[in-house]
Amino acid sequence: MEDSTQESPATATATATANTYTFDSPHPVYAMAFSSLPAPTPPLLALGSFIEGYANRVDVVTLDEDARSLRPEPSLSFDHPYPPTKLMFHPRPLPNSSTSLLASSAEFLRLWQVNSSSVVVRSILSNSKSSDFCAPLTSFDWNDAEPRRIVTSSIDTTCTVWDIERGVIETQLIAHDKEVYDIAWGEAGVFASVSADGSVRIFDLRDKEHSTIVYESPRPDTPLLRLAWNKADFRYMATILMDSNRVVIIDIRSPAAPVAELQRHRASVNAVAWAPQAARHICSAGDDGQALIWEVPAAGATVAPDGIDPALCYTAGAEINQLQWSAVHPDWIGIAFANKVQLLRV
Amino acid sequence: MSFDSTTGTKQPGIRKGAWTVEEDALLRRCVEKYGATEWRHVPLRAGLNRCRKSCRLRWLNYLRPGINRGSFGEDETDLIVRLHKLLGNRWSLIAGRLPGRTANDVKNYWNSHLSKKHDVRDHKERSKHDDKVLKPRPQTIPRTWIWSRDHLSSASEIQQEESEMQEIPSSSKNHKTWVDAQIIGVPNVENVITKEMQTDNRVIQDDNKDDESLTGVGGWEDLLQDIDIWGDLGTI
Repeated sequence: MEDSTQESPATATATATANTYTFDSPHPVYAMAFSSLPAPTPPLLALGSFIEGYANRVDVVTLDEDARSLRPEPSLSFDHPYPPTKLMFHPRPLPNSSTSLLASSAEFLRLWQVNSSSVVVRSILSNSKSSDFCAPLTSFDWNDAEPRRIVTSSIDTTCTVWDIERGVIETQLIAHDKEVYDIAWGEAGVFASVSADGSVRIFDLRDKEHSTIVYESPRPDTPLLRLAWNKADFRYMATILMDSNRVVIIDIRSPAAPVAELQRHRASVNAVAWAPQAARHICSAGDDGQALIWEVPAAGATVAPDGIDPALCYTAGAEINQLQWSAVHPDWIGIAFANKVQLLRV
Repeated sequence: MSFDSTTGTKQPGIRKGAWTVEEDALLRRCVEKYGATEWRHVPLRAGLNRCRKSCRLRWLNYLRPGINRGSFGEDETDLIVRLHKLLGNRWSLIAGRLPGRTANDVKNYWNSHLSKKHDVRDHKERSKHDDKVLKPRPQTIPRTWIWSRDHLSSASEIQQEESEMQEIPSSSKNHKTWVDAQIIGVPNVENVITKEMQTDNRVIQDDNKDDESLTGVGGWEDLLQDIDIWGDLGTI
């Protein structure tokens, strides 16, 4: 990534191997999570497989900079029912503990205790009132400020806020008219979700009677697939439409029209992630095999008529399905494509 | 053979079982004539070969005018559940709170439909206190926002637009004040969200009305047409 700043953004590719680490997985990888143990612990990645069927696995890999590789930890690998749609570590682990908590969403929300040499399931939180059917969870988010709260989104149009310490549902809301595809916490007690009905809605737990639509896809009923809320500046959100090469940046204070639509991908965008600390940098990756880092213009800045150009660009060998920007190691971005996982240094 | 509880002897020939239409007519006529009281005289006065208790019950549960025979509505069901939780199996007390329903009907309804659900619900309620799934009503930000973005999004420019918006007719006055709150440079995001979320119902309804009323107001139609063009461009 550092190499490409000197070249023109649209064609630059990073080749320095000290800045890229690759892990070859035996199966296609989709879900990815960076551990939140702060430095000096090296970055740890949990990778969820994407095998169509019941038997899936979650592997854990560590970045070993001395050995210059992404090393798998076989003792921490465990079976997971159905492909995990999202994996996430506890955002505020105790600094000196050897165990961390990993959450995964599939047909239920599960919490796993990752010990130093084994992983055990800690709780299974089920959404459904009747035991016969459960609605698969598309995504979830762990509240940074109140880590006992996790909000999940489901294809049954509901979003559920869990109190994971007590293992009970705090609130269950019918959030949208169609399946909810992604969800993110903003400030404490506020979360936003995107849905197949094409709207981005913000919910405030202090007023459960109302929600606010901050963006709707221009052609009605175009599903919005992903949502990323900028945790460094809660004014900004990014979303992607289905089968679209655009990343839509929304300013929730001026919601009716997006701040920017980033249109440099040559195929559909699959994932988007804000920089964890810099308020205006965002990374997106898509089916064109490119991961692009953009700088979102400040409010009121004039925008060139043909749109914004990315600041940095990386080309992977295949369609990139997942993108995660490590919160505790902000110079590392993880991408997943085909059966490979790569860590890129920013 | 019926057992006459007052004398303790068996009374031969007294009718038991289903009431015929003729018996109903006789009973009805008797009650209309003498009132629904002094039930001990009713079988004699009506010429019925029925037990007194039977006559009274028939009247109270079936023949009395004002009995609601329709299926139990949601509100009634809800009341029954709550009253049963409070009162237990005292059907006459429960039915006393349900106009037009006899105690017998309430008891039958409970036993046939509600008691199974009641058992399940009791367990659930012990584990979590709030079972309700809420459906928040979505509010859309009014379209005037698109218009003000036309002239760039800097706060100063938006202030300028505000003065032009004074021309909006009084019907949208509430709407304007809500929008004003957003415009006046609120740097703190938290503030904004709270304002949006806590907008009272009154303003929400006005917002919806205003979307339509704006198109009718002179001069706005052109601007709204421009908005469509902006939509097609995609970028700002």
